[in-house]
Amino acid sequence: MKEAILFVAVTALAADFEWNLPKGFPKPVVPADNPMSAAKVELGRYLFYDKRISVNGKQSCGSCHRQELAFTDGLARAAGTTGELHPRSSMSLVNVAYAPTLTWANPTLTSLEEQALGPLLNTAPVELGLKGREEVFLGELRRDPVYQQLFKKVYPGTANPFTLGNVTKTLAAFERTIISMRSPYDRYRWGGEPDALSPAAKRGELIFFSSERGGCFQCHEGWNFSEIRYEGGHDGPDDRAMTGAFLNTGVSHYAAPNRGIYEFTGQPQDIGKFRAPTLRNIELTAPYMHDGSMATLEDVIAHYAAGGKYPHANQSKVIRPLQLSQQDRRDLIEFLKSLTDRDMLRDPRWSDPWAGKPH
Amino acid sequence: MRTILLAMLLITGLFAQETDAVQITGDVKQPLTLSAADLAKYPRATVRTTSNGMETVYEGVWLHEVLKKAGVPQGGELRGKALSSYVLAMAQDGYQVLFSLGELDPAFIDNQILLADTANGKPMFGAQGRFRLVVPKDKPGARSVRMLTKIEVVQLRKAQ
Ligand code: HEC
Ligand code: HEC
Repeated sequence: MKEAILFVAVTALAADFEWNLPKGFPKPVVPADNPMSAAKVELGRYLFYDKRISVNGKQSCGSCHRQELAFTDGLARAAGTTGELHPRSSMSLVNVAYAPTLTWANPTLTSLEEQALGPLLNTAPVELGLKGREEVFLGELRRDPVYQQLFKKVYPGTANPFTLGNVTKTLAAFERTIISMRSPYDRYRWGGEPDALSPAAKRGELIFFSSERGGCFQCHEGWNFSEIRYEGGHDGPDDRAMTGAFLNTGVSHYAAPNRGIYEFTGQPQDIGKFRAPTLRNIELTAPYMHDGSMATLEDVIAHYAAGGKYPHANQSKVIRPLQLSQQDRRDLIEFLKSLTDRDMLRDPRWSDPWAGKPH
Repeated sequence: MRTILLAMLLITGLFAQETDAVQITGDVKQPLTLSAADLAKYPRATVRTTSNGMETVYEGVWLHEVLKKAGVPQGGELRGKALSSYVLAMAQDGYQVLFSLGELDPAFIDNQILLADTANGKPMFGAQGRFRLVVPKDKPGARSVRMLTKIEVVQLRKAQ
């Protein structure tokens, strides 16, 4: 009996945070030193949307990662709180918990906790511009009754829970919960709903997953449409070898600082190699590519159909001219649109808790 | 006009329709056209795969069992000329990959090549195709042909 009670107590603790994922989808990996809890996620949400996090109080993480745009900003290149332009386009945070590496082209960045320091402290360009102002910001948190309560709940018994490390941990915990697996395509493919897709989207699926016709799946692979597996062929059982790979797809001239992972490796064969981002909710995340250089999905398909816009010695062999009729292109776009999860855009778990409140 | 119409029908047929049978053709004693109902009567086997953390259990029939029914030489019979035979797996979209007969025969090698018709207990559809191959021992997935329509056995004889 005693054992049974103990067991119940333990599961109750562990169940404090529930992923509630559809059957068959994997749980994200969570770092051992930053376990999930419902309170932490809630605190993370307050911080994610709090504009006091920026040097001039104008921006929060949520300014460049807007829920209604699947956590992007609608701009070709992101603009920081002081107006400085970022060299690259903002990225969706949906399913970011599953990304093997973070941002467009950084093979060394794998932790969300670490990533959050970037927008907070970066100076070239300034995103939130908190560098040198960290203590001022933490002091503001310490004085705010909302945060006094939340931090105490998440980090009980800690003398000073108001640290930058705890801020990035809670932001990361919040980001890990932004998961979308309930698009029409999910319902069609895994949910047993054959009518969840239009006939056009079903035709588009065949093009996307055909190496002869579209070949898109070779780089936008797996249930999250974001893994690069290998070059060639249909999909198969073991793909771990290539996860987190980067490819040159002939998107631009790749001038500094947008030379892809070359910025980190310094290897000429790495020029132009970027991560293939998830295509979930892609309908909402225009403009496209690392530099926001393609305004519409039509432009993106035209780019692939032409076999790349700017030929480069490093360009992937998979990118080659495609025979796609106007109908095929429309079908492919219908398929991409079936990856949109409309409920996610309004889900209160990820919405701005400050909306309508003065702060 | 009629030919254009026919061509259009052929093309849409090729890409839009799901084929509900897989053909075993070529240099075989007994060509076969197998539906899922036919495959259900064969010895069944399963393969479990993981893709990006998502597990799928494929069920179907080992390809060598299917080839046995088509009269393809196996085991002790797989010698001499038969050993220069190959098996071409073809998909609805024109994709093709090759296996050699030896590579498919459990008397030669412990391989696992499944002609699958269900995934996680449900008939496959759409981009999976009604039928597919699953080759778990291959490192890349390139020969795990989806949308499989045809298995052709070809005996190769090269002039010296
Ligand atoms: C000025 C706009 C801006 C702000 C503010 C901003 N981001 Fe971003 N975010 C971006 C851009 C641009 C990228 C792509 C960066 C790159 O490739 O170098 C990005 C990328 C990311 C990624 C990587 C996504 C992926 O799929 O790899 C994460 C995670 C992220 N941001 C989280 C945050 C968090 C947390 C904050 C607040 C602390 C924040 N961002 C604030 C613009 C912004
Ligand atoms: C060889 C690998 C590869 C293939 C094949 C491929 N992609 Fe991509 N895709 C990428 C990479 C890498 C990027 C990012 C490129 C960049 O920004 O420089 C990308 C970006 C995209 C984007 C923009 C994503 C965003 O968030 O801005 C879309 C949309 C897209 N691909 C759709 C497709 C479609 C549709 C196909 C098939 C016609 C396809 N891709 C084929 C690798 C590939």
